[in-house]
Amino acid sequence: MSNPKHDKGEHYLTTPKAEPFLERLIFNNRAIILIVFFFLTLFLGYNAIKIQPDASFERMIPLEHPYIVNMLDHRDDLENLGNFVRIAVEVKEGDIFTKEYMETLKQITDEVFYLNGVDRSGLKSLWTSNVRWVEVTEQGFQGGTVIPDGYDGSRDSLEALRQNVLRSNEVGRLISDNFRSTIVYAPLYENNPETGEPLDYGTFSRQLEEKIRDKYGASNPNIEIHIVGFAKKVGDLIEGIGSIAYFAGITILLTTLLLYGYSRCISGTLVPVFSSIVAVFWQLGILKLLGYGLDPYSVLVPFLVFAIGISHGVQVVNAMAIEASKGFDPITAARLAFRALYIPGMLALISDAFGFLTLLFIQIDVIKDLAVAAGLGVAIVIITNLVLHPLIMSYIGITKGGIRHVQSHGEKQDRKWRVMSYFAHPGVAPVSLLIAVIGLGAGLYFKQGLKVGDLDQGAPELRADSRYNKDNAYIIDNYSTSADVLVVMVKTPEEQCTQYNVLRAMDSLQWELQNTPGVQSSASLADVSKIVTKALNEGNWKWYEISRNQTIINASIREAPAGLINTNCDLTPVLVFLEDHKAETLQTVVDRVEKFAENNSNEEHTFLLAAGNAGVEAATNEVISSAKNMMLAFVYGVVSFLCLLTFRSIRAVICIVTPLGLTSILCEAIMATSGIGIKVATLPVIALGVGIGVDYGIYIYTKLEKFILEGKALQEAYYETLRSTGKAVIFTGVTLGLGVVTWIFSPIKFQADMGFLLFFMFLWNMVGAIWLLPALARFLLRPDHMLAKARSKE
Amino acid sequence: MALSAPSVFALADIIETPSRPTDLAPQSLLNDVTKAGDRIVATGERGHIIYSDDEGQTWEQGQVPVSVTMTGIDFGTEQHGWAVGHSGVVLHSGDAGETWELQLTGIEAAKLAIETKQEQIAELEEQIEEAPEEEKADLEWALDDLFFTMGNLEADLDVGPVNPLLDVWFENEDHGFVIGAYGMILRTNDGGETWRDWSARIDNPQSFHLNSITQVSGGAIVIVGEAGNIHVSADGGDTWERRESPYSGSLFGVIGTGKANEMLAFGLRGNKMLSTDLGQSWEMIPNDAGATLNSGMVADDGRITLVGNGGAVLLSTDGGRSFRSYFRDDRESVMAVVPVSGTNLLIVGEGGVKFTDARGKNLQ
Repeated sequence: MSNPKHDKGEHYLTTPKAEPFLERLIFNNRAIILIVFFFLTLFLGYNAIKIQPDASFERMIPLEHPYIVNMLDHRDDLENLGNFVRIAVEVKEGDIFTKEYMETLKQITDEVFYLNGVDRSGLKSLWTSNVRWVEVTEQGFQGGTVIPDGYDGSRDSLEALRQNVLRSNEVGRLISDNFRSTIVYAPLYENNPETGEPLDYGTFSRQLEEKIRDKYGASNPNIEIHIVGFAKKVGDLIEGIGSIAYFAGITILLTTLLLYGYSRCISGTLVPVFSSIVAVFWQLGILKLLGYGLDPYSVLVPFLVFAIGISHGVQVVNAMAIEASKGFDPITAARLAFRALYIPGMLALISDAFGFLTLLFIQIDVIKDLAVAAGLGVAIVIITNLVLHPLIMSYIGITKGGIRHVQSHGEKQDRKWRVMSYFAHPGVAPVSLLIAVIGLGAGLYFKQGLKVGDLDQGAPELRADSRYNKDNAYIIDNYSTSADVLVVMVKTPEEQCTQYNVLRAMDSLQWELQNTPGVQSSASLADVSKIVTKALNEGNWKWYEISRNQTIINASIREAPAGLINTNCDLTPVLVFLEDHKAETLQTVVDRVEKFAENNSNEEHTFLLAAGNAGVEAATNEVISSAKNMMLAFVYGVVSFLCLLTFRSIRAVICIVTPLGLTSILCEAIMATSGIGIKVATLPVIALGVGIGVDYGIYIYTKLEKFILEGKALQEAYYETLRSTGKAVIFTGVTLGLGVVTWIFSPIKFQADMGFLLFFMFLWNMVGAIWLLPALARFLLRPDHMLAKARSKE
Repeated sequence: MALSAPSVFALADIIETPSRPTDLAPQSLLNDVTKAGDRIVATGERGHIIYSDDEGQTWEQGQVPVSVTMTGIDFGTEQHGWAVGHSGVVLHSGDAGETWELQLTGIEAAKLAIETKQEQIAELEEQIEEAPEEEKADLEWALDDLFFTMGNLEADLDVGPVNPLLDVWFENEDHGFVIGAYGMILRTNDGGETWRDWSARIDNPQSFHLNSITQVSGGAIVIVGEAGNIHVSADGGDTWERRESPYSGSLFGVIGTGKANEMLAFGLRGNKMLSTDLGQSWEMIPNDAGATLNSGMVADDGRITLVGNGGAVLLSTDGGRSFRSYFRDDRESVMAVVPVSGTNLLIVGEGGVKFTDARGKNLQ
């Protein structure tokens, strides 16, 4: 073994003079640096605790996509089309026409009326005066509220209620087809009209649970309450963010145990855990100071920061233990460990950070936030785990047990490493490559089925068996409604939105779409006009047509629902209800609309995509499909470039990056076979997986090259590599895997998907580095050339 | 479901836009149904005309050159049928409903009506010149009325074919009537090659809508319409007489009961009445359902079925003297009905085609 003091094999990025400077700077001012760290940690930790969950709708959508630009441009015109909650009050035994049920419904309606955030003028239930029945008579119309005048809960008044319900046109909308539930429909203000404050979805959703579901579920055991709507979904997501705290606890505990098993050294266990927790506090504190909240995506970053911190801390502990076992005192051991590790460590962490930053190319704010949070976290790990950690260790040192463990255990494991070094053997390497090629082929074959978008029914963010999705399924089953709505906006000159030609064009679009697979139904002002024209002609269906007579049209839409005509009458929407939100469905429908818009937009009417949840999803899918390849190109480009810069060898880059490529392809194959689509949540997985996964290769290749330059044959060099760093690499893979595996139990579906995929990426990248890298090295590396080149430099 | 491919055309007027072939036609609004021999033919929104040769189990869609809401259909023979609808369209089929050609639109109909008014005006002006002084004031009032009506027709024509035809009746492959909104009535004697405006022959000075036309046993032709309008022709349509109605609301349908000169008229809010003397006198039939009645039929065994809004199906086994009412579960409006095997019915309406028992209960 060479003298570590004269080891120059690892210095690529910096001139030899800079290294002692950095080392001197840090280790000559240990106390001052630690004090600065202490106060920084207090300050940032204080801010970290104040960070709030935040699930803003706008941050989860691609704001620069033309669909979303159109939607936001016309947000005020489309008010209340999208943001509402529906509370279905179901009776368990019997039907809704009982005194008890109607009383409970009345109380619920009143309660909802007073909830902060509800647009009271738009509130609808059987008990609100805007829910009416209408009948044609010889004299014209007669009508009234659905609740009969003088309702007293008697059998007669309940019978009158039943009659009114039947002629109210609300069956299937406000009253379920089987008369066993009715809906309280509450449109919401995005911003409070008096104070201008944005709606607090978390609070609103909690109030729905406490003041509606729990309260009335308890007071009337014969009812069950189902609540759906964007606000409820976001509220549930925010709740889900909270459960992450438990996962954090479990992860820290498991990691600590694992670390102790690895190092058999209390200080070597607690110091890295402590440093990594400090990193998390810094990261959260800085995020808070930068004005960020924790959304369901970025809440996962602290786990990554922690795991990355631990994995680099392990390298420090490992290196220190080896140096200490040679008899160096703690401070010298710490200095040597620092000297040996800060180049590969920084390189690994910088490539992590750049890997994350490639996510900035995706024009969706939550992903950008994720990139910032993760990039920031990794930058912090450079400070905490490459500076703070060795500094603390320089005071404490590795315990005797830890040193003994390195010595004894190291020898016991040598046989294992000897066996594994055969991965670099000329006879084994071709077999490994063949297996890798077969794996690649299988991966490419299965990944053909990879889909874009969310594939499950209901709210894809939440699990299929979540309360929300069960409620959603109930409402879809019992009401004529779809959860997937695409809104096409029809733009006209001012005051022209009700012109015959506009309605006629919308009607054509609707029929085109209703004849498109995946479309359930549609609605627009054209339908209102037809149905009211029919009603104005004594309810005779033979008059169900858009009149050419503008006066009749104007009369027919006088009482059109709010949201179908904007204030200036220059925008009117076509609502398209879809069977699901699968990417193909969305694509087919959006393509038809675009083709129609191209052929039929003129100065009288322009068709603009898209609002509604399906519109947003279509836009998101498009952004994700187009960003995916660019992101992959960037992340691999950055990682390859950094490796090239460090190792100055294309062959080295191929050795390190190829196993990552195989893992990425296998990951996509797993996504395809387990029904996970490419979506906002899974797109970052590959960037994260590759960015972090490259660390293994960097650590292994650094050592491998060093031993080759010492004149060892490839297999022998690899054996030495495994001896010195193999254990730390394997441990790193397991730690990272543990860091994300708990997410699989998250109530938020996409967190579970991310956890599952990252778990695979982290472990398999580690396997790739240990197994495939040496096999590639056998074919690609030429130790003679490397030695000659190194000598010529000296 | 096999849905059709996207259509790529810029928007033309719907009387120039062929009806799109679609599997959705049998589930969409259908306003009328009739028989062409054993074939059942129904028509409804978006220019849909569908036909079935197996009592409604499977449907084919006819080729139709327009996309307007169609309102009525009738076959003069097994092969020759006519269908009418919005924008004043009259379609003709010579192959039992498979292909249709446009014979008339509201534009020509309005021009014919305006010509009629001009003739009436010229005639009246002559009369006024020759009339004794004391009658002139009344005649000038009538002249003003005619000018007013003609003005309306011309104003409508400026917009386009605004008014719908609402029903059609053909005696054979040559002779028939189409009727519709604002007193529109046209007659042909050459299978629709040429049409004559017949509004001057009907005593309907306020231009009320004419909703339904039929021929009753004994040969008389009957039209009912808005505001209790009842018009009867006993000479095959040449001349028409107005009958007094005991009910002043809208009548949407009229059918013969199968007995000579006997007929049932019905309409708004379930009002229905029976006449055994070609409308000279009427007897109101007790009304317990309250749902507007749209159409009806007489089966071979004499049972009478009326259908209406809110899923109403009314059944009479005593020649229309009394009815039992049933309401379909879906409560969707029923627009028309034809008998099929046994006592079963094929009904059409708001929700498309349904195959039901005699009381309107779904059989599939």
